[in-house]
Amino acid sequence: MLKIDEKLIKNFDWLTLAIVIILSVVGIMTIYSATRPPIDILVHSEFYLKQVLWLAIGIIALFIVVLFDYRLLQRYSYLIFGLGLVLLVSVSLAGDERMGAQRWLSIGPISFQPSELLRVFFIIGVSSYLIHISQYLKEKISIKSVLIFAILPAIFVILPVALLIKQPDLGTAILLASLFVILLVFKGIISKKAIAFTLIVGFISIPFLGHILWEGLRDHQRNRLIVFLNPAIDPTGIGWQVNQSKIAIGSGGFSGKGFLEGTQGPLRFLPERHTDFIFPVFAEEWGFIGSIVLLSLFLVLFLRGLDTAVKARDNFGRLVAFGITAMFFIYFCVNIGMTVGLMPVVGIPLPFISYGGTALLSNFIAAGILINIRARRFEFFYPPQNRT
Amino acid sequence: MTITELIKKVFTDEKKRSEMKARAIILVTVISFAFFAVILRLVDIMLLNHERFAAKATLQQIGREVVPVKRGIIFDRTGRKLAINIHTKSIYSNPSEVSSPEDTAVALSRILQQKPDTTITMLNADSRFSWVYRQLGIEYAQMIKDLNIAGIGFIPEMMRYYPGGSLASHIIGFVGIDNQGLEGIELRYDRYLATGKEKWLYMDRDARGNILSGGYRKGEIQGNNLVLTISEGLQHIVETNLDAAVSEWEAASATAIMMNPHTGEILAMANRPTFDLNNPSGTETGHKRNRAITDIYEQGSTFKIVVAAAAIEEGIMDQHTEIDCSAGYIKVGGRKMRDAHRHLHRVLTLKEVMQKSSNVGTIKVALELGEERLYEYTRRFGFGSKTGIDLVGEVSGWVRPPEYWSRLSIGSVAIGYEVAATPMQVLRAYAVVANGGYLVRPHVVSEILSPCGKVIYEANVEKQRIISEKTVTSLREMLEAVTEEGGTAISASIDGNQVAGKTGTAQMVDPATGRHSSEKLVSSFVGFAPAYNPAVAVIVVIHEPQGAEVYGGIVAAPVFREIVNASLTYLGVPMDNFRE
Repeated sequence: MLKIDEKLIKNFDWLTLAIVIILSVVGIMTIYSATRPPIDILVHSEFYLKQVLWLAIGIIALFIVVLFDYRLLQRYSYLIFGLGLVLLVSVSLAGDERMGAQRWLSIGPISFQPSELLRVFFIIGVSSYLIHISQYLKEKISIKSVLIFAILPAIFVILPVALLIKQPDLGTAILLASLFVILLVFKGIISKKAIAFTLIVGFISIPFLGHILWEGLRDHQRNRLIVFLNPAIDPTGIGWQVNQSKIAIGSGGFSGKGFLEGTQGPLRFLPERHTDFIFPVFAEEWGFIGSIVLLSLFLVLFLRGLDTAVKARDNFGRLVAFGITAMFFIYFCVNIGMTVGLMPVVGIPLPFISYGGTALLSNFIAAGILINIRARRFEFFYPPQNRT
Repeated sequence: MTITELIKKVFTDEKKRSEMKARAIILVTVISFAFFAVILRLVDIMLLNHERFAAKATLQQIGREVVPVKRGIIFDRTGRKLAINIHTKSIYSNPSEVSSPEDTAVALSRILQQKPDTTITMLNADSRFSWVYRQLGIEYAQMIKDLNIAGIGFIPEMMRYYPGGSLASHIIGFVGIDNQGLEGIELRYDRYLATGKEKWLYMDRDARGNILSGGYRKGEIQGNNLVLTISEGLQHIVETNLDAAVSEWEAASATAIMMNPHTGEILAMANRPTFDLNNPSGTETGHKRNRAITDIYEQGSTFKIVVAAAAIEEGIMDQHTEIDCSAGYIKVGGRKMRDAHRHLHRVLTLKEVMQKSSNVGTIKVALELGEERLYEYTRRFGFGSKTGIDLVGEVSGWVRPPEYWSRLSIGSVAIGYEVAATPMQVLRAYAVVANGGYLVRPHVVSEILSPCGKVIYEANVEKQRIISEKTVTSLREMLEAVTEEGGTAISASIDGNQVAGKTGTAQMVDPATGRHSSEKLVSSFVGFAPAYNPAVAVIVVIHEPQGAEVYGGIVAAPVFREIVNASLTYLGVPMDNFRE
């Protein structure tokens, strides 16, 4: 049934594939370094081995995703999105609780985080939906029509966001909400006037909304905001994470301490050293030079994704490619911003680098979709298998 | 691919995507801005402030830890251990890592044998470190270790242990939970026992404060050992007899000191009430007071030796000088002072005045001396100034200069009132007679030895001649006569060796009335033996003995006899048949 097209090979986006694999390998090395025991006699935790396994699964998944025409995703987009929601609901019903959050779903020996898969499914679902409604909005785009059509998307977004907040997984919830808004803007459904209007209303309402939001935050979330605004407060208490993160990055210096020579991770000064705060571990060992190289890899990944979106042959591909790129970019910004003290501490991992099986798989699927869209950018409207 | 290339591409794209291009430009700008911000920040942290952060990293990786100093051992003069160390483990918790404080508290309490409520407060403390139990026996610590509870850690600590319990408690003193000296020798010699140098060790540590091995940890630091002048055997003799006396006479308190009169070495020192060194907090504060040096009393007749010494040394009298005491009283400052016993109402020699402890006779001698010389000799015998013993809390007592005396004072001072002294001072005054005229500095530490056995400090004899040999000979004969037929303390004499000494019976000031009480008495005996080559000088002071006749010769002298008798045997001092 499936014939691997020559065109597919010819137009295959080797650059994106290379970058995500390089990033993942860097990630595994850094995880290995971060989790190594401070004394030789202690056992090295198996995080890096698990990550290798997930990388293999991720690469396989990527190729499977590339094989099918991405428009198949559009056809089954609501089904895919529905599946994501079902997984999310089942987490809230039957999920495992670890470290105070109910995020994991266990099937036999494998446990994974549905919220990580939902990210990609959400982009597919929302993109499909926006294309769907934009056909009705072709003639005129007004604030009124936006308001009418805002009721449906609200449900579209509010349900998963609410479920995520309940877990609690504030990071992913914020990500989904912002992705939705970004996609709306990108699709042009929200006009510039509406953006301006929203911004003005937003700024005016900050004092009021801010208060409501503040009351709704948990203590540790409030502390993170306080620390973000003033990191010097109690550096051993609530400011610990940011402070330690900066110490690790700063002690890397220009050329770094060298691989497996970093101390802040293994000595457990860095919190979440193999997940959210993995960048400081990397920066400590590889220095400013290594960090610039790493950042450049990400930059290329984003620009390539954007280029893919621009070149995509249809609206769906464009929206999905853009959504995925935006997702990577948001994760990157929030994570790096948090470790260098430019943003408050939100528990968001660095894509491809941080430890996390489901996240890695999900990111590889997303990368696969990007490659898929790029590879098929010159194809005509009808996919080959339909023509024959 | 560079940004400009991309923008170029976006612009030159032939398809009608002008809006798309505009958005792409905005997005590339956003991305560029984000990267610019991050890189600026990295320059700031990694290049400009590298030194600062690197220093911080190094600093927090270095654990400065108090190394448990193994306190020096305290030995008695024969090498028996009076204070030793026991290896224990102290248990602490990092409350933030304890998953279930309730279950942990129950599990720990079962082994610690304390109430779970006590334990749980330690586990709920609002800090990263909280002691759960200090200085727990190794075997119990292992039981807790086997439970493998998260957030519970162990630190090896040394616990001070005193094999003798309450033996020599007031001399040895005790330590606090952190092994800091709190009383006695433990406090006075704290910086030697817990050697002052290298109490801190610098080592690599992780964020949880775990010390990382790999040759960073040095061995324990060993304090210097002390050798005391105390003899455990003599101390035991003194304490047993003191206990017997206190219970026989239902006394409020009592003190006994034994000293080598020639060197000032304290051989034994005991007070009642006493306390258990291994449980100092379980006793009321008063029991921990070393009354031998901290408590003063008006000594009564034992002071008469100073009057006699002054008279002979000044050449006013000799021991055969006759003093008319037939009146049975003497008027001083308009007040009659009497001798209680009728057999003293005759002419007595100076020697007899001492032997029979005549108040009238002594006052007459004092009047011959005059206030100034009486005061001078009082000070010369060490009253009114500290003896300089190497223990904490010594007081100087008080002696008023004559300008503050009333007309009555010369009479009072002569018979041991209006002069307050510690038992230690009184014993030292009698040691002057025992050692041939020298005032010595009493001391309890004879040597400080480094861990490898090198002598760091050695006590030397500090003495100062205050009266002539000739005077001493006369005084010694007088004191001998006290324990002979016709003296006040025949009960102090022992078989085989000649004893020299003096009784004292004084009224205590009743705090309620501020006057001398006829019921509350201090009964004492101070002396030395063998009289002509003294091995020991001993004082026994018993406060508030209960009974009809509680004179020093009745209450204190027998205790003195028992102590000296057993001690001379213990020391192997040969019997002399000097007077036979």
